[in-house]
Amino acid sequence: MTTRADIENMIMRVAQRDRAAFKALYDATSAKLFGVALRVLNDRAEAEEVLQEIYVKVWHNADRYTVNGLSPMTWLITIARNSAVDRLRKLRRAETPAELEERIADDGAGPEALAIAASERGRLVACFEELAAKHAEAVRRAYLEGETYADLAARFDVPLNTMRTWLRRSLLSLRECLSR
Amino acid sequence: MSDQDQPDRDDRTLAGEYTLGLLSAEEAAAFEARMVQDPALRALYAQWAEDFAGLTDDITPQAPPALVWQQIEAGLFDDTRARGSWLRRFTLWGGGLVAAAVLLLAVFLPDLVERGPVPPVDPPYVAQIAAEDGSLVVQAVYDDATGTLFVDREAGGAAPGRALELWLIAGEGAPVSLGVMPQDAQAILAVPDDLRRRVAGAVLAISDEPQGGSPTGAPTGAVLAVGPVQES
Repeated sequence: MTTRADIENMIMRVAQRDRAAFKALYDATSAKLFGVALRVLNDRAEAEEVLQEIYVKVWHNADRYTVNGLSPMTWLITIARNSAVDRLRKLRRAETPAELEERIADDGAGPEALAIAASERGRLVACFEELAAKHAEAVRRAYLEGETYADLAARFDVPLNTMRTWLRRSLLSLRECLSR
Repeated sequence: MSDQDQPDRDDRTLAGEYTLGLLSAEEAAAFEARMVQDPALRALYAQWAEDFAGLTDDITPQAPPALVWQQIEAGLFDDTRARGSWLRRFTLWGGGLVAAAVLLLAVFLPDLVERGPVPPVDPPYVAQIAAEDGSLVVQAVYDDATGTLFVDREAGGAAPGRALELWLIAGEGAPVSLGVMPQDAQAILAVPDDLRRRVAGAVLAISDEPQGGSPTGAPTGAVLAVGPVQES
């Protein structure tokens, strides 16, 4: 079992250009980060390329991981999620309006709801449950699907400003709930 | 926030929107510039990052194919193989990565400065680093193939006895100095090889610093102007 301290220690050693530690970090974390990239991109070839980008970033930025005070796995997951979302949005930029329509119509909400229900983070689950179902769904889609305000407004068929208001109020409720 | 139409806008929601990637490039740049100087804002961001990372708890880990590690290793460490597969590497890494900031040294190119700096023709990336009130405006164009960052100060300048320092803020990283802006309005900064890819999608910021630049390696004075690096 790799502990939080182990991963932190590996990142510290990677910052000192320790290639063995880099390999150990990859072995310990790449399956999780590949899972995240696959979840966001839903495409193996794209996820494999993004996984490479992720670890190149890890190698180059290990010396700065403490800057924002994130835990080691959160730091890695954030790099993975952001890299995958960047890639996804780049791909989506090439979409035609018809393709966009199809994408928005295609994927239902089912798996999302299941995924969050099974989460071990009770507090997070409980706080998401306090939100209206649609609002919780919008926040999850922004994080896990990289959806923008425009995507979300189209999906929920509401004006852009309504979407912004929903989401900001949801964030405020979440933050207040999570801080309790 | 002073925006009266948006009473629900406060730093907690703003940090959440930033973490989700919902802000426009300009809004994100302004948020990052504020984060540089505000530990409370960084803490808000860290909180959201921790909480949202919890949404990945149920994602089943999946072992990537062995080829991925081989390509990471080849890309980072194997210079001879890398040369052989240069074209492949280019397509793998050249896609305009957004990355956290790393150490970046600005090197002024004396031969180019002598002839007078010339902006790259048809540059892939541009940035307008501007103060909200227009008191400082710097246009930047960046060529990631050559690592050439051309800056043109159109308005404003350093206060007497002070210097303007240019910073790169990328992803979740701290700002990294690109050097003190030269006296001349136009200049070329060379970005070292291993950092060239990191400029795309990052934010450039200019801070007020003592002559010779920040003594600490981090911005010490006010952030005067910010702007995102965008594809041209």
